[in-house]
Amino acid sequence: MRNDRLKIVFVLCLAFVSTGGQHLESKVVQLLQDEAEDIKCFVEGKDLTCFWEEEEERNNLHDQYTFTYSYENKKKMACVVSSLSLLASNKTVFFCKLPKTPFFTTLVVQVYRDAQMLYSRSLNAENFLFLDPPRNLTVTNSGKEGQLNVSWLPPPLKYMDDSLIYEVRYAMEGSNMGKVEVIKVSTMLVLLGLQSDTRYKVWVRVKPDGVAYKGYWSAWTEPVFGVTQPGDMDPLIVVLVLFIGLILCLLSLTVILSHHKFLLKKLWPDIPTPEHKFPGLFTVYKGDFKEWMSQNNGSIWGRSVHVYAEELPSPLEVLSEVSLTGHATSQREERKPVEEEEEKESERSDSRLTDRWREPPHAHWLMEQLRALQDNPESLSQSSLLQSHDTYVTLNQGDNERQDDDVFEETVPLQTLFTTAGTSSLSTSRSDLGSLQQSSGSGRLSSQSSFEYPNHTWPPKGPGYAYMAVADSGVSMDYSPMSSSRIAELGKHRMYTNDYKNDIFPHKWPLSGQHIKSGSGSCTGTVW
Amino acid sequence: MGSVAERSKALDLGSSLSGGVGLVSVLMVFVWLGENQVSPLRPICDLRVLDHFVREARDSEVIMRGCRGGCGVMKSYFVPLTSVDFAVWEHTDVHGQAVEVQTGLSLLDQALNNAMKTVSNSPLASVLENNISNIHSLGQILHSLDLQQARSTVLPDDSVPASAQTQEVSSLPELLQVQSSFLRGKVRLLLSAAPACQRQNS
Repeated sequence: MRNDRLKIVFVLCLAFVSTGGQHLESKVVQLLQDEAEDIKCFVEGKDLTCFWEEEEERNNLHDQYTFTYSYENKKKMACVVSSLSLLASNKTVFFCKLPKTPFFTTLVVQVYRDAQMLYSRSLNAENFLFLDPPRNLTVTNSGKEGQLNVSWLPPPLKYMDDSLIYEVRYAMEGSNMGKVEVIKVSTMLVLLGLQSDTRYKVWVRVKPDGVAYKGYWSAWTEPVFGVTQPGDMDPLIVVLVLFIGLILCLLSLTVILSHHKFLLKKLWPDIPTPEHKFPGLFTVYKGDFKEWMSQNNGSIWGRSVHVYAEELPSPLEVLSEVSLTGHATSQREERKPVEEEEEKESERSDSRLTDRWREPPHAHWLMEQLRALQDNPESLSQSSLLQSHDTYVTLNQGDNERQDDDVFEETVPLQTLFTTAGTSSLSTSRSDLGSLQQSSGSGRLSSQSSFEYPNHTWPPKGPGYAYMAVADSGVSMDYSPMSSSRIAELGKHRMYTNDYKNDIFPHKWPLSGQHIKSGSGSCTGTVW
Repeated sequence: MGSVAERSKALDLGSSLSGGVGLVSVLMVFVWLGENQVSPLRPICDLRVLDHFVREARDSEVIMRGCRGGCGVMKSYFVPLTSVDFAVWEHTDVHGQAVEVQTGLSLLDQALNNAMKTVSNSPLASVLENNISNIHSLGQILHSLDLQQARSTVLPDDSVPASAQTQEVSSLPELLQVQSSFLRGKVRLLLSAAPACQRQNS
């Protein structure tokens, strides 16, 4: 008998555990916390389940407990007791499931252990409904900003559809602060006031409304995610922004237009052109300077003399050629290493100058040569040096026999200062405060350091000669070499001199081309 | 001389007779109309009315619990059975359900009236009176649903026999609990499943 009962109980236990065990366990666990009664009962579906905790450790479990129930003053009926082991808390509960539980009537349930009443409770079954969570929870985008549509299905019940209330909980993803909305009967809800373009989690649970049926809150559903729509620009803000932008544009436009000339001058300055100085050159003669000059001979010339005051290079001072035979060797030797270097910067040239100036005998020798030259102007071809504090351009001249020496002597110090540009056959010379040379040729020494070539054409001496154009604006000197072809051209022209004392050219320049004008110094220059 | 008086008397009699006949005929027409008229009552399907009654029945239970003095005497009342076995209930047809509900309501009405006689506590008496009027309203609602139930009106009658469908309670609190259970159970199930209301909803 006992074995049979045990077997029945064991089989029933297995059946319970296999089918509704999980649901039962979760509900039992929850009620263990919430319900204070000794016998805790709940209705799942249409069946009432009552359970109680195991008191103490017992060897024999089930057959000790007896569960009876009665209603409407009818006789007591027994229920089969089963046990359930809770995995989480490692407890054991005994429970009994009443088949065909009558509703809307007072039930009296009792638990006996060893013919001794342990617990007793009277209750109405319809007041202890423990429903399953709602099903099919869906969260969709409602199409409007900050809204979500939430819908679900109620638990499968009869006669209770209109007696249920729901609680919807929603929170931003990652946040635990949620809001709760209670909704009666309806299984749909629109969540309002949400942030746009945010992911939300939504849960729902259900409970009888408490009028006809009462019960416990069901478990929460699994969270369902929904994303709100990205926010649109408020049309009012867009309109305001556009309006303000338009006003700003108009203001800036007005400012720009009123000061446009000033702004234009600052941002886009005119490139200075010499057109206004050459009236008609580019418009009538299409840039042909020769023609323009020939057309505008007399009038323009006088005018342009004054115009080019500061722009023209200053005249050159041509010195007589000086041969350095006396000290040639010594100088050559000294200057050899110097010559080998190529300099391009004036700093190095300055250092060379100072090097040479450290030679006292050189200066002394210069003075002697000067005196000699003054006494004997015919001996211009002789080596003589002029001492002058002005800048000089030395012109290399030399016969073929002397060419090597002279070129070597004369050009060495100057080559160290300046390099030739372009043609290597030429040796250009630039002003050198240290060494002074004088070009040969007819001419006489003037008061200090200039000599004149009145009505004398400068004969081109071939490749041995080098000529240089000097532009002295009073601030800086600009040297440019002249090619041999240029020199040949020059030879055809007349040369003019001017005084050393800063006289303005009194002569007219019948030749076309750029002429050299004296600014601060005086010298003669070639005119081409 | 005599004939004129006789003639006037006869005329008076004739006129009164004709008037009477006309009146009777009119009355008969009205009675006939009254008997044969189709009930123009619209079915009351909103369960919120019933929920309101249920809440008021629960209020009387609460007041009963807090009543001190003059709260009635121990007396036996015959009340309907309130238990609902859903399996059984679903197998019962609507007519049977309606009869059951109607009978139960009448029983409750009787019991409540009997109880009120013994109650001197004024709050309790007022809520009991409220409950009685609610039960009458429920009768009207059932009538509006046209459930073909027995047209026996709810009449206070002590001589209702105890049948299998009744139970006996011995105190007013139990009576009130029975009332509450009955309204929430059988009455509600019937009203929610009434065919007239189903037609309206669908």
